Amino acid sequence: MKENAPGVSQNGGTPPEAVLAIPQTKQGAVARLVTIFGSLGITGDKRVHYVFDAGDSDYREIVRPGDRPLDSIARSVPAAAWYEREIHDQYGIEFVGQPDPRPLIFHDNWPDAVHPMVDPVDDVPWSNREYRFLQVEGEGIAEVAVGPVHAGVIEPGHFRFSVVGDTVLHLELRHFYTHKGTEKLFEGSSVAAAAMLAESVSGDNCFAHAACYSQAVENAYGIDIPARASAIRLIGLELERLVCHISDVGGLCTDVGFGVAAAYAARIKESLLQASSQCCGTRYWRGIAAPGGLRFDFDSSKVFALSQCVAQAHRDFSDLARLILETPSIQNRFETAGILSLKAARDLAVVGVVARASGMDLDVRRNHPYGRYGLYQFEVPVTHYGDVMARAKIRIAEAAISARLIQETAAALPEGSVSVPILVQGEVRSSSAVESPRGELYYWLEARDGKLTRCHIKSPSFQNWPAMPPAVAGNIIADFPLINKSFNLSYSGCDR
Amino acid sequence: MILDVIVRSLRQRDRLIPVEALLGNCDGSRMPDVVAELLTPAIAEKLLEVCPTAAFGIEEHEGHRCLQLSYGQCIGCGKCMEAGQGSVIAAQRFDWCGVAKPETVRSWDIDARAEITPHVPSPEQARGQIHSLLQRALNIRQLDAGSCNGCEMEITALTNPYYDLERFGIHFVASPKHADMLLVTGPVTRNMADAVRATYEAVPAPKLVIAVGACGCSGGVFAGSHAIVGAVDAVIPVDGYIPGCPPTPAMLAAGILAVLRRRIAK
Repeated sequence: MKENAPGVSQNGGTPPEAVLAIPQTKQGAVARLVTIFGSLGITGDKRVHYVFDAGDSDYREIVRPGDRPLDSIARSVPAAAWYEREIHDQYGIEFVGQPDPRPLIFHDNWPDAVHPMVDPVDDVPWSNREYRFLQVEGEGIAEVAVGPVHAGVIEPGHFRFSVVGDTVLHLELRHFYTHKGTEKLFEGSSVAAAAMLAESVSGDNCFAHAACYSQAVENAYGIDIPARASAIRLIGLELERLVCHISDVGGLCTDVGFGVAAAYAARIKESLLQASSQCCGTRYWRGIAAPGGLRFDFDSSKVFALSQCVAQAHRDFSDLARLILETPSIQNRFETAGILSLKAARDLAVVGVVARASGMDLDVRRNHPYGRYGLYQFEVPVTHYGDVMARAKIRIAEAAISARLIQETAAALPEGSVSVPILVQGEVRSSSAVESPRGELYYWLEARDGKLTRCHIKSPSFQNWPAMPPAVAGNIIADFPLINKSFNLSYSGCDR
Repeated sequence: MILDVIVRSLRQRDRLIPVEALLGNCDGSRMPDVVAELLTPAIAEKLLEVCPTAAFGIEEHEGHRCLQLSYGQCIGCGKCMEAGQGSVIAAQRFDWCGVAKPETVRSWDIDARAEITPHVPSPEQARGQIHSLLQRALNIRQLDAGSCNGCEMEITALTNPYYDLERFGIHFVASPKHADMLLVTGPVTRNMADAVRATYEAVPAPKLVIAVGACGCSGGVFAGSHAIVGAVDAVIPVDGYIPGCPPTPAMLAAGILAVLRRRIAK
């Protein structure tokens, strides 16, 4: 078994294609868009990389030259819209026919002419551009502006609702308040050190980011990590999923005023974080995954203790979940709220729990197995209702599967070393995908002599945020926090 | 149904962590401590080299070479512990939560192998100190200025049954206009700078501000990015700093109480 599929991208060196032929699946459908991003060739020529998933074991990558304007694919592949706007902001590449040419990641304070991936960024002047929200016109229509600072311990972002009475006609998102220029910060960093930057892309999914980044480096240099490191990574990834799903179900209870159940979920979550702290000295598994394996070995007895805590947390959580789902007021609030149709889900190429709750059967762990996932049989829960209840049920089902995978792995933890040295030399390009708690996370990187020259992060949140407006439209505005929580997207992961 | 949930909760044992066990506790934070007896000039140089956020520095002090450690910059990555040959260990106790900026930096005389103005752990009068804070309420507004959401996760944990910050009369509020204190996380991004200033303006006096986490204290791993303005104190005045990446709930609780205590002592 290959430890680190999906493998090295093949076409970094092939000449760019002038016309984009969007790949198709075996059934003749348009392939799912994974990501689009820009890069610079060695002579400074701009390139645009399109990555698709056509249902094969590897992703399909197509590279086009970006020095002249490109035709936008956003009208036929709506999921491309935000990517094209991001690439325009970063590289100044024009997309002809882009339905929404407004800036995305930079706000009014950023000058039009500065594109940080190609221009110098020392002392960028403060500018005062105008941003126009979409206007919904008609009798009785009111606008409600929310954010960027929200009421609660939440990340910043702006929501502009156009409502008639209580009903939301249209929701416009304006995000990227937490944009920190992370992709640019990767450039020039050593491949070994950048894992800690990956950990700070989205703090609650830090281990998935570190593992995905490390896997991309390992793919680049053709390295297989030791079985023990791979097994411990699997435990970390599944634990992160378990913690997130428990936390999200608790958060849903908070948003419908079911405080007792929310506190109960918070208690189970905290027990897992404290067990992690006992096991490896960090509550969220920061500073553990690194290119080549793990930074240090784990004490097998402590891993066993963690697995026992997971077993207890699983028992407590399944009991709680059953009680939550049997509560009529919960059923009343969760069912039919925030329906995301299968068509909208496919058009926007959503991933993760959101996709599986709307009938898209995809999971990187099964479709593109990496690490030790190929060794396990596990179910991928899918349902077609697409409402808050569907997303809650998927999370509950997945939490049980994660708990089982952790216990099975901990019970048969391979012996041996946890790290192999990597000889970082030459020019390399590679990619890697991981099923993070929010869905498909994809890293693409390019390095010369051990220094990163480009690192692109496709975060599941960036992919899923555009699916929020169609899910919210038609609901009452008071249900928005609940629908938002059921998606549970990261602002920082999206904004980077 | 709901009664079943309540019955199950009542059956649970009490998880509340007593205040004495919270103060100084840094389990799970990976914050470093220096064993001064083992310091050598070569090790000190090595620490500077391996630290990804330049938390270590070497300065001349009265003719002696001194190793400095700025906790506000430390992300707890553990590189110094790997390179320090035993001279850097995981801190068993951490008392630099909620302190003023100069106090976030510790110094050791490398030649004399001793800490300059060594830290004396505060006497274990925690409960008494907390009693002096009671009969008061503190309303906190958390403000994310661009964080990765790691700090938010730990701040949220403050309200769980283990930490239960409400027992101290401390309450998270939805509006800055209701707040006594801002708990600011993250480096301040360009896109959030105006909102951070506006939020600060909206808080009624006396406005207490705590910068939370390595990013809030110093910019952390994002220091120097074109898309950030800087640490929290680059934009608004800060009363206390809570280091960590992210700080654990115990460190957050200790830091909030420390800033409150200083304020009341004034």
